[in-house]
Amino acid sequence: MSETRVHAPLHGRELVLAVLRWILIIFFALYTLFPLLWLAVSSLKTNFEFLAGSPFALPAVPQWQNYINALTVAGLGRMLLNSVIVGLAATAFNIIVASMGAYCISRFRFNGREQLFTLFTAGILVPLNALMVPYFVIINKLGLYNTYGGMILLYCAIGIPMSTFLVRGLMDSIPIDLEEAAYIDGCGFFGRFFHIILPLSRTGIVTAATFEFLTCWNEFVFANLIVSSEKLRTIQVGIRYFTNQFSTDYVSMYAAIMISIIPSILGYVLFQEQIIAGMTSGAVKG
Amino acid sequence: MKRLLALLLALVMVFGLAACGNSAAPAEKPAEAPAEAPAEAPAEAPAEAPAEAPAEAPAEEIVINFPSIWVGTDSKAAYMAQLVENFNAENAGAIKVVVEEQTDYQAYRDKIRTTITTGSAPDLCILDTTFDIKAYSESGKFMDLTPYLNEGWGDTFADGAFDAWSVDGHTYILPFESAIFPLIYNTKIFNEIGWDHFPATYDEFFQFCKDAKDKGYNAMGQMAGDNAWSSMLWYSLIVEAIGGKDVYANGLQDPAFVEAAKVLKEMYSYTFDGAISATAGDVNGHWLARDTAIYLNGPWWIGNLYKEDNAVDGVLLADDCDVAVNPKYEGGKGDGGLVTTVQGFLAAAKQDDPAKEAAVVKFLQYLTDPDHVSELALSSGAMFFVKYTPSPDTSVIAQKFTEIANNANYTVLHVNGAFPTAFSTEFPAAVSALVLGEVDEQGFVDMLQTAIDNAA
Amino acid sequence: MKLERSDRGPLWAFLGPAIILMLVFFVIPVIYVAVVSLMKWNGISAPEFRAVRNYLLLFKDKAFQRSVINNVIWALVAGFIQVPLAMVMAIILSRKPKGWKFFRTVYFFPQVISGIALATLWRAVYNAETGLLNGLLKAFGQGALAKDWLGTLQTAFPAVLIYWVFYIGYYMVIMMADITTIDESYYEAATIDGATDFQQAIHITIPLIRRTSLLTCVTLASVMGLRQFEQVYMLTNGGPANSTSTIVLYMYKKLQDTNYGMASASAVILILVGIVFIVCIRKLFEGRGEGAAPRKRRAVK
Repeated sequence: MSETRVHAPLHGRELVLAVLRWILIIFFALYTLFPLLWLAVSSLKTNFEFLAGSPFALPAVPQWQNYINALTVAGLGRMLLNSVIVGLAATAFNIIVASMGAYCISRFRFNGREQLFTLFTAGILVPLNALMVPYFVIINKLGLYNTYGGMILLYCAIGIPMSTFLVRGLMDSIPIDLEEAAYIDGCGFFGRFFHIILPLSRTGIVTAATFEFLTCWNEFVFANLIVSSEKLRTIQVGIRYFTNQFSTDYVSMYAAIMISIIPSILGYVLFQEQIIAGMTSGAVKG
Repeated sequence: MKRLLALLLALVMVFGLAACGNSAAPAEKPAEAPAEAPAEAPAEAPAEAPAEAPAEAPAEEIVINFPSIWVGTDSKAAYMAQLVENFNAENAGAIKVVVEEQTDYQAYRDKIRTTITTGSAPDLCILDTTFDIKAYSESGKFMDLTPYLNEGWGDTFADGAFDAWSVDGHTYILPFESAIFPLIYNTKIFNEIGWDHFPATYDEFFQFCKDAKDKGYNAMGQMAGDNAWSSMLWYSLIVEAIGGKDVYANGLQDPAFVEAAKVLKEMYSYTFDGAISATAGDVNGHWLARDTAIYLNGPWWIGNLYKEDNAVDGVLLADDCDVAVNPKYEGGKGDGGLVTTVQGFLAAAKQDDPAKEAAVVKFLQYLTDPDHVSELALSSGAMFFVKYTPSPDTSVIAQKFTEIANNANYTVLHVNGAFPTAFSTEFPAAVSALVLGEVDEQGFVDMLQTAIDNAA
Repeated sequence: MKLERSDRGPLWAFLGPAIILMLVFFVIPVIYVAVVSLMKWNGISAPEFRAVRNYLLLFKDKAFQRSVINNVIWALVAGFIQVPLAMVMAIILSRKPKGWKFFRTVYFFPQVISGIALATLWRAVYNAETGLLNGLLKAFGQGALAKDWLGTLQTAFPAVLIYWVFYIGYYMVIMMADITTIDESYYEAATIDGATDFQQAIHITIPLIRRTSLLTCVTLASVMGLRQFEQVYMLTNGGPANSTSTIVLYMYKKLQDTNYGMASASAVILILVGIVFIVCIRKLFEGRGEGAAPRKRRAVK
């Protein structure tokens, strides 16, 4: 937006602010790139270099072998695919269910509305580690142990509170008059949802979807708990292939982590470019 | 709006994909991973088969589900995989062992605990001392192996191997992999410090520590971070030296525990900087970097001493290493004892179907066959409760370990096996509080006692 | 909007799936946890009813007290330091300085990096001997300050907290998305009136996002602070002497001890503390100021 604005020459306080602004921008960029860089360098060391040498030294000879280890020994390819399948499907279900729920809670007054929302929000607080036993029983009873369906259902469900919270937050800020006008024009429940609310809450939906997808992508405890077949393993299980209480192959693990990060960063960059473009060119009617 | 539609369309496609995935997975399940609710499923199939066609067609293949931690980077992984493959080949069509690879110990424990609690224990699994073996044995959820052991199978195990873990004379959970904890030391560093022998007493030991420090070496590696593994091992050794054979007879009441805390705390003056927050990676790193004189860990670590990757200037670490026993403590009751633990138990879920029970036992006997165990020991460096003839190819260090095991006057459990899990969970907090002066020696023992009481 | 009769059917059809999932995966399991919190149970023997004894044991346990305090600090720091930082960056980047797209993406990276890698890295930074932080201190002649940052009672918790505070990407992205929907006309009018960027941020942007994404982020960050587990588990495992412990980590350790009763009781307390937090934050944001009404969205054509 500021591209169109005309800036006066900077001086005094403005100049100080501009300098400060760039210091902040660069500080945060370095701060966030640093782990990635360190990880990349560490993944090219030998285990001996990593353990016995300085953690910030460069490897004598880059060990591309680590990547070959990660790809061949643990079979990361299949696991990446599984993570993508489970992550996308769970996110899709989750967002659909959550945005429908958020729409109702945000736009309509009915008995128990506030209590319902409190319940949803409180769900964010539940420490899921405490629910290993009930979740295992539920998935087992549904006959979904060791299936994609079990993981998708579980991930979809555990993300509902968060997604509902995020999407409702945005829906609340959409002015009600738009909807009321549409209502007077004879636009029904579904029409208002699909034509007005959904397009206008895209920012919230994208935020929630990103969060949900990352949750699925990084989840490990339940991925390990409710799946036993190697064919269904997700990438987080794969990363642990190199850790062992008694002999951790750190460098291959880092290579595996690098491999697992690349698609999520790529995915994020692509996802972001497309969706945010859609968001900012936003329109009420298509 | 168009973009949104496109997005929705993409989502719908994903649904389709997921649905395909769903329907595909169960189809391949019976062959690939019949893990689902083992408690219920197995009852049907094999139970019918023998009744209908006892003589003719072979009974339907019995599948044994075995989540195993001896995979991935574990030293036993390669040979274990081969054993399972051979067993499956020998019993093709009758029994199939399906290994579920588990690599993260903590996640594995969480999973096993959850499946057992919910009544879906896997057919076969590996437990360690963090599980309450007594309670598990009493639970009725595991197979009583006593009748089979009494038929001669039990004689292949070391004498008294089951004593500590049996309930009313019945053995449900089988101690399999053992570990002993002698001290490994770097002779080159000892020479540089001017010592030609390993200290025989703890007084001498601390003299050595001072000399090592003067020369800029760490005497040993301690760690209070993560699970405080190294410090817990040292604590066991000191407790044994002070309290002797029967140190656990009165729980934590024995004065040896307070006294040992004092010794452990003193050791922190002779380790590397930052031991309070250190993890196993730090301890191992220092030892590999040749700046630490003494290393304490189980036999599974011997393989690393021989790894080319860990050699410096072409010299293997093992070539500079020797093995020693726990020093004696002045006025202590310890006398040539050895600290040991059970590294891995084998536990089989109770089966309703006799055919399946027989299959599981058959695999257990195959796994614990002395010849197989001998190979397993050779390939991994690990030690076992099964009596076997060590291979002549065994490494020098491993041979010295065995020698020490054979010459020990008695064995004492490592603290993590002697006390409930709560002891081990609390240990890192207690030892860091002790070393940082938050609590005194008695306070240290009290912290551990409270943790045990809370869980009991 | 008032609920019309014709909307009633579709409303429950829309709410239904979410409610069912909430019931099956949250309400019922949490009731289970609440019941277990009144029991003594090791997961294998028969459970024994022991009323509120687990809760009494928790309140007596110094490690648990410390965990609650740490979580409260964490939630406050997250909500009132981390999120404001994120807001500042969101405002700066939404002004579209050179390369803003690049920076927006880069700031988000830590969110996609596995927690194991982040934890190992920061262990290395704080390491007593080879750590980057001690190295920097020595380089600037402050070697006397060098210490085992994660192994010292006074510094361990701040160290765990501080490195994490600067990972603001997630909240920044949420607020940026919100800021970009503010109608340009607000800023045009302000610019004509001669308001500086700084004044515009204070008087236009912040009031307009206060009730929406800012409230969302503060709530979210506080809740994440209360639920903190993975980073602490991998960085310090709660040490030294429980000084960095959190409620979920405490709970996890009790699960390992198969002390299901106390583990469940600590989960219940976490949920209660969290509800207090959420209610207070809502009150705080609703109570003050003129209350930004739903605002004009940009580019509605």
